[in-house]
Amino acid sequence: MKNIIKFIIALLIIVPAQAQISKAELIATGLTCSMCSKATYKQLQSIPGVEKITTDLNSSSFIIQYKPGTAVNVADIRKKVQDAGFSVGSLVVDMNLKNVAAANNSSFSYNNSSFIFVETTAKSLHGIVKLKLLDKGFITDKEFKQLSKNAKQYPSYNSQVNAFHVKPI
Amino acid sequence: MKYIMIICCVCCMQQIQAQELFVFTEPASNMPSKSLGIRTMNGFMSRQTGGTNYHLMPELMWGINKKWMAHAQGFFSSRNTSGLQIDGASVYAKYRFYSADDLHSHFRMAAYGRFSMNKSPIMQQEIETMGFNSGYELGIIATQLLHKVAISSSVSFEKALDNGSANKFPISEADHAFNYTLSAGKLMLPKSYSTYSQTNLNVMVELLGQRLNGNGKSYLDIAPSVQLIINSQARIDIGYRKELYSTMQRMAPNGVILKLEYTLFNVFK
Repeated sequence: MKNIIKFIIALLIIVPAQAQISKAELIATGLTCSMCSKATYKQLQSIPGVEKITTDLNSSSFIIQYKPGTAVNVADIRKKVQDAGFSVGSLVVDMNLKNVAAANNSSFSYNNSSFIFVETTAKSLHGIVKLKLLDKGFITDKEFKQLSKNAKQYPSYNSQVNAFHVKPI
Repeated sequence: MKYIMIICCVCCMQQIQAQELFVFTEPASNMPSKSLGIRTMNGFMSRQTGGTNYHLMPELMWGINKKWMAHAQGFFSSRNTSGLQIDGASVYAKYRFYSADDLHSHFRMAAYGRFSMNKSPIMQQEIETMGFNSGYELGIIATQLLHKVAISSSVSFEKALDNGSANKFPISEADHAFNYTLSAGKLMLPKSYSTYSQTNLNVMVELLGQRLNGNGKSYLDIAPSVQLIINSQARIDIGYRKELYSTMQRMAPNGVILKLEYTLFNVFK
C-alpha cells in the first residue's frame, strides 16, 4: 500500500506541467571580449535550475539547459545579462506545449506569467516549440522600435508587466 | 562584383572583437555586477632631474549593479624617500547613464568622480589626484565600439586642494585643470575564439592631455600599451607614457607602467 502511495506521489511529481521550458538560446549584444563573455556566463550560471550552459564565443551565444521540472522565469535571463553589463539581442526558448491554439493576441499561462502570441499565423502547437521573445530587452533596440510601430494590432504589447510576447519560429 | 559582395557578407558576419579595457583610462562600460576586481599599478617614472620614481597603487574595484561601480585605491611611492611610503588614497565612482547595444556595435556613456587625499609635498604644476594631489575630479566618458576597434574619450574637471596642513597648495599656482583623453584599442589575438582559456592580446594607444585653467599651461602625452588577458579573468598591461609637449613643470612624466588585475566573479550576493 505504502509503495503504491509512493508510486502515485512520484507520478504526480514527474507529470509535466501544461507548458515546460527545457532550453533557452541566448545571443548577447555589446559583448566585446572573452572577459565580458565570461562575466555573462558566470551570471547565467547563478540562475536557479540551470543545468548546463554551452557557449559560442564567436557569436556571443549561450545555450542554457534547465534541469527537468524547473519553473523558468525568462526575465531572470534578461536581468543577469544586464547585470553583467550587456544586453539580450535574441532569446529563443524551447517550450513543451500541449495543444495550444496559437494566433495573434491569444495567450497561455506558464509560471504565473502570460505568454501572448504576436506576429503569429493561427495554428495549433503541440510538443517542443521554439518561441522567440519579442518584448523590450529581449530583442535589439532597433527591432523593438520597429515592432512597436506595428504594435497597434497587439494591444498588450509594451503595456502589461507580467506578460511576455512570443512568436513561434 | 560578386566577389566584393561575398567579401562584404563575410566581413559583416564576423563577430566584432574590439577591446575597451584601456590601460591609462577607464572606459564607459562597468565591470560586472557583484564582482570584485583586484588591481595593482606599478609605475617606473623617470625623474626630470635624474633617477626613477617608483609608484605602487593597489586598487579594489566593485561592480555594485549594472549602472554603478566603485573603486578604492591607495598611493605609495618612493619619490620622497629612499624606501616606499604611503602618499594617500582615493575613492572613485562611475555611473553608466547611457547604453545602446546592438549586435555589431555599442555606444556607452558614463559619468565619474574621484576624491583623493594626499599628504606628500607638492612639487609640480601638473595636477594629478591619482597619487600626487589631494582634490577631486569629475568627468564624462563616451565609448564607441566600431567594427574591430574600440574608441573612448573623456573630459574632466580636476581640482587640487591642500595636501594636508603641512603641504598647502601654492597660492601662486593654478589649482584646477581641464583634462581630456582619447583612447583606441584593438584585439590582435586570438583571430577566432574557441574557449575562455585562450589568451587575448590587445594593443592600444592613448592620448592624455591637461590644461591648467587660469594660466593656460598644458601638456599632452602619448601612451601606447600591450595587454594580455589570461583565462578571461586576469589582465597584464604594459604601457609606456611619453610626453609629447608640455609648457608646465612636471616631476616625472615619462615612464613604464605595469598593471596586474584579477576579477572575481559573483563575489557579492
